Amino acid sequence: MKENTATVQAHYLPSALRALIIASAFWALSLSLTILSGSVAAIAGSLIACLAVDRWANAEPIKQVRTSTIVAAAAALLLLNYAAVGLVTRSDILASMLSPIVAFELGEALNWFGLCLAATTVLRSLAQRTSFGGVLEILFVATAFVVTLSAHRNGMIHRPFFIGDYALIRGIDPATILMAFGCLAVIALSALLMAENNQRRLPYHFAILGLLCFSLAGFVRFFGLPTPGMTDDLGLTGQEIAGNSQQKENPFRDGENTAEDKEAPVAVVVFRDDYEPLNGSYYFRESAYSQFNGVMLDYTSRGDMDRDLIESFTNTELTAEVLPQAMDQRKTVRTTVGMLVPHRNPFGLVSPATYINAANPNNLRFKRTYDTLSYAPTYDFEYMLGRELGRDDWSDELRNKYLELPSDPRYRELAESLIANLRPVYADDPFAKAWAIKTYLDENGIYSLKNDHAYETDPAASFLFGDLTGYCMHFSFAATYMFRSIGIPARVGIGYSVPASNRAGGSALLVQAVHGHAWPEIYFKDIGWVIVDPAPQQTLVDMSTDPQNELQQLLGDMLRDDASFADFMEQQQSGLIDLQTLLNIVYGLLVAAMVLGYSIRSYRYFAPSVYGPEQQYRLAYRAALDQLAGVGVIRHYGESRERFAARAAATSPTIEPATATHLARSLGASDGDSTTTDWKTIRRAIAKEIGQNTPRWRRALAFCNPYSWLFTR
Amino acid sequence: MSTEILADSAIEPKAEQISQAPESDQDLAQSIDVLKRLSNSVKSRVLGRDDVIELAIIALIADGHVLLEDFPGSGKTTLAKALGEAIVSEDDAAEESADKEIVPFRRIQFTPDLLPSDVTGVPVFDTNTNAFHFRHGPLFAHVVLADEINRTSPKVQSAMLEAMGEKQVTVDNVTYRLDDLFFVIATQNPLDLVGTYPLPTPQLDRFLFKITMDHIDRDAELGVLDTYRERRDKTLAPVTVTRNEVLEARRNIEQAVNIHPAIKECLVDISRNLRTDDRVLQGNSTRSMVLMLPALQVAAALKGRSFVSADDIELLLPRVLGHRVEMAPGVTEIDRVLRDCMRPPMEQLARSTLD
Repeated sequence: MKENTATVQAHYLPSALRALIIASAFWALSLSLTILSGSVAAIAGSLIACLAVDRWANAEPIKQVRTSTIVAAAAALLLLNYAAVGLVTRSDILASMLSPIVAFELGEALNWFGLCLAATTVLRSLAQRTSFGGVLEILFVATAFVVTLSAHRNGMIHRPFFIGDYALIRGIDPATILMAFGCLAVIALSALLMAENNQRRLPYHFAILGLLCFSLAGFVRFFGLPTPGMTDDLGLTGQEIAGNSQQKENPFRDGENTAEDKEAPVAVVVFRDDYEPLNGSYYFRESAYSQFNGVMLDYTSRGDMDRDLIESFTNTELTAEVLPQAMDQRKTVRTTVGMLVPHRNPFGLVSPATYINAANPNNLRFKRTYDTLSYAPTYDFEYMLGRELGRDDWSDELRNKYLELPSDPRYRELAESLIANLRPVYADDPFAKAWAIKTYLDENGIYSLKNDHAYETDPAASFLFGDLTGYCMHFSFAATYMFRSIGIPARVGIGYSVPASNRAGGSALLVQAVHGHAWPEIYFKDIGWVIVDPAPQQTLVDMSTDPQNELQQLLGDMLRDDASFADFMEQQQSGLIDLQTLLNIVYGLLVAAMVLGYSIRSYRYFAPSVYGPEQQYRLAYRAALDQLAGVGVIRHYGESRERFAARAAATSPTIEPATATHLARSLGASDGDSTTTDWKTIRRAIAKEIGQNTPRWRRALAFCNPYSWLFTR
Repeated sequence: MSTEILADSAIEPKAEQISQAPESDQDLAQSIDVLKRLSNSVKSRVLGRDDVIELAIIALIADGHVLLEDFPGSGKTTLAKALGEAIVSEDDAAEESADKEIVPFRRIQFTPDLLPSDVTGVPVFDTNTNAFHFRHGPLFAHVVLADEINRTSPKVQSAMLEAMGEKQVTVDNVTYRLDDLFFVIATQNPLDLVGTYPLPTPQLDRFLFKITMDHIDRDAELGVLDTYRERRDKTLAPVTVTRNEVLEARRNIEQAVNIHPAIKECLVDISRNLRTDDRVLQGNSTRSMVLMLPALQVAAALKGRSFVSADDIELLLPRVLGHRVEMAPGVTEIDRVLRDCMRPPMEQLARSTLD
C-alpha cells in the first residue's frame, strides 16, 4: 500500500511539476505578444496538453499511433485553429453580436490556446517517445525565458516594458523582479532536468548547467553586459518622444530627459538642389513662438501673425501666405523630407515656402513624406547692415505684438547696457544691436541640459539674470526678449539645426533628435526673418553625435525610392517567403488535392455505367469495393479476395457472391458467360447493406474523404 | 498370366483430347458430384477431420500421396479404411483377373525387421502347377495405410517409395504394375524418434502433402464417443463411388478446371521468394510446383469452382511445400517463412483481378 502511493507520487508529482513549468514558459512567451486572455489561454492550453500527453500517450489506444502521426495531427490542429481564429476575428457577425473587443479577445484566446496545445503536444510526445525530445523540451523552456528577458540589456532597467512599467508604477526596483525572473528560469530548468529520471545522466546535466551559469557570470564580470543591438530592422533605436517637443505645455520642461536616445533619427532630408549654408548649419523651421501670452512666448493664435509658416499637412500642395523677400539673395532649394516620427507641422529648410505632398515610398518606415520649396538665404552679414526693421504691410498693432515681452525691466536694462558699447557707426543699426546681444550670450552663456529654471515663472529671466546656464530654449527666449525690449521685432523659431558637415558630401541629411533646436529670429525689411542664433562657447554637455552616415545613406535611398534601395530590401528578404503566401500555397494545394481526389472517386463510381458489359466484372466490382473501403472495410495486404469477402460479409453479405462472380470471370476460362450478371443490382444491394450495417457517422466520414478509394486494393 | 508385364515404365497418356465447352461443364459437374459423394461417405465415418479428409481426397484425385504426422489413436486407420472402402471396383468392368487381386484397403505396420518382399509380394512355388506364382503383397490395393513409415529400414522404404513414384513393383526383375488408383497414406510419429530411420528430403518429395494433424475439437470428440458403436457396426458406407468414376473425375478435373496464368505466376514468384530467403537453406523444386497444379485443380473443384483461385493456393501451399523446403540451421518457424514469402505474390495476384 505504501509502495503504491509512493509510485503514484513518483508518477504524478513530476508530471504536474513539468506541466506547470512548461505552462509558465508559454506564459512568459505570450506576455509580450498578446493580451491577458491570450496569456491565460496559453497557460490552459499547455497545461491540458501536458497532462493529457502524460496520461494517455503510452496508454492503450494512443500507444499504437506513431509519433509522426501525432506531430502531423498537431500541425493539422494548428492550421485548423488558425482558420477558426480568422473566422472569429474577421467575421462581422460575432463582432456585432458581442462586441469587437470581446471578439478580439476571444480570437486571441483561441489562437493562443490552439498554438500552445499543439506545440506542447508535439514537445511532450517527442519527449515521451524519442531520445532527443527531452533535450528539445528543456531547450524550449530555456529559450522562452531568454527571449522574454532579452529585451533587458545594457542596463536598460525599464525593458521589457511590461515588467519595468509594473515595477516602476508600484515603486519596486525592476532589477529585483528581473532577478526573480532569472532565478525562476534556472529553478524551472533544474526541475525539468530532475524530472528526467535518468540517474546516470543527471549529474552531467547539473554540472553543465552550473558551468553555463558560472561562465555567464564570468563573462559579465570581465566584459560587461553586451551592447544592445539594433532594435528593428533598420537600426532605429529612437523613440517618438524626440522631435515634437512643441507639444509639451512648457517648452522649458523638456530637455530634462533627452539625454538618452539623442541619436534617434527623426527625419531624413534629401536635397534636390545643391545648397551650402553660410554659417555652417542647416536650419529647418517647423514653427515659431511669437505671441506673448502674458507668461511667455507661445504659438500665435492670431490670423495675421506668422503668415509665412505652413501650419498643417495637406494631401496636395500648400504655399505660405507670405513669402520671404530679397529673392535675389536667396536660392530656391527643393528638398524631400521623410519624417520618421510624427510631427505637428511640416518643417522645411529655412525659409520654407511651398509644401507639396509626396508619395510615401515606404509606409512602414516613414510617417510622412513631402517636398518643400525653400528660399534659402545666400546673403552675408554686410547685406543686413543698415536695414530697417519690420514689414511694410504690418499694422502698428501687429508690429507691437512682435515687441511684447514680460514686464521685467531688467531685459531692457541689460540689452541697453550691451548695445551701449557699440561703435558709433553701428550704434543705430538693428543688426549690430542684435549681434551685440548674441555675442554677450555666446561669451557668457553655458550650455547645459541640466538647469534649475524649468519651474520658475519666467525661466528665461531666471537664466539670463541668474547662472546663465541653460539650453537653446533659454538662450533663444532670453535673446528674443532682449531684442524686443529695444524695439527689434523678433520671435523664437522652432525646428532643427543640423551641422552642414553631417551631409558628408551626399545629398541626404539625417535629422536626429539631438538636432532639435530653438533660435531667435529678427524681421528685416525687404529680407524677411533672419536667424541670429546664440552659440554658447562653454558647454557642459557633449552634444557630438555619430552622424550615422550609413543610415543616412540608406534612408536617403529609401526616400528617393532608388533601385539601390529596392536591391537592399530584396537582399534582406530574399530566401524568406512570405508566410501568407506559403499558407495560400498550402491551402491551394489542399483544395487541388481535394478536387483531384473527388474527381477520381466519382470517375470510379460512374465508370461501370460508361463502359460495356465485358468490363463490368472489373469496374463494377471495383466500385463496390470503393464503397466498402469508404466505410473502412479494407482488404489487408496479401489477403485473398475470398478471405476479404468472407470478412466483409459482416458488412455486406452480397459481396461474397459478387467476389465469386468477379473471380470466375477474371481467373476462369475467358468464355464470357458472366457478362449476364446484373452488376447494377449487386451494387445497389451492397450500397443498401452498407447503409444498414454501418453507423451514420462512418458513412458521413466516407463521403467527406476524397481519397477513400486509395484504400481499395 | 495375371499381371501385365512392362519392359519399361512408360506411362501412357490418360486423358483423351475431347473437350467441348458444354460437355466439359457437364463432366465437371459430374466429377464434383463424385468428389462430394466420396467426401460425404468418408466424413460420415470419420468425425472432426473434415480438413484432413478433404486434403486426402485432393491427393487421391490429384494422383499424389499423403504423409500424416500424427499421434497413435487419432483416427488414421479409420480414415484410410473409410477412404478405401468408399471406392469399389465395378465387377462388370473388372473382368481381368488381376483386378481381383486389388483390394480396396490395406494396412502395413512398418517395423525394423520388415523386408521389401513383405510389402511387394513374393513368387511362391505352386506344387500343383509346378510353377512360380506371384503372391501379391499389400501394395496391391486402392488405398494403402503405411503406418509408422519411419520405423522400417531404408531398404523397405525405398521399395515403398518406388511403388509410390512409379506405380509399379519389381520383384526378381519382373515388374508388376499397380492399380491406377494406388494411393498411400503414410504416417509417422513426430515425437517418438528413437530407433527410427527418418525419411530424407528427396524421399519426402514423393509425398504430395505432409499434413500435421492436431487433436480434434471438443464437440467432435464428444460426437466420436457418442456414435462409435453405430459406426463400428455399419459394415459398408451407404454411399460409394466406383474406381472408374474416380479415375474419370481425375481426368475431367484436369481438363475442365482453368488455371489462369496469374496463378502460375504467383506460384513461381512464391518459389523464387523462398529460394532467395535467408532463412531457407534449400528452396522447393520445380517438380513440387508441377505436382501442385492438379492438386489445386481438385481443391477448386471440391469447392465447386471451375477455376483455381488464391484460396486454393492458401490452402495447399503450406502442405505441399512444408516438407520440401529445407530451413537454415536454427530456423524453426517454417509457417512464418512461408507466410512471408507468399504475401507479396498473393497481393500481386489479388490486384491482378482488378487490372
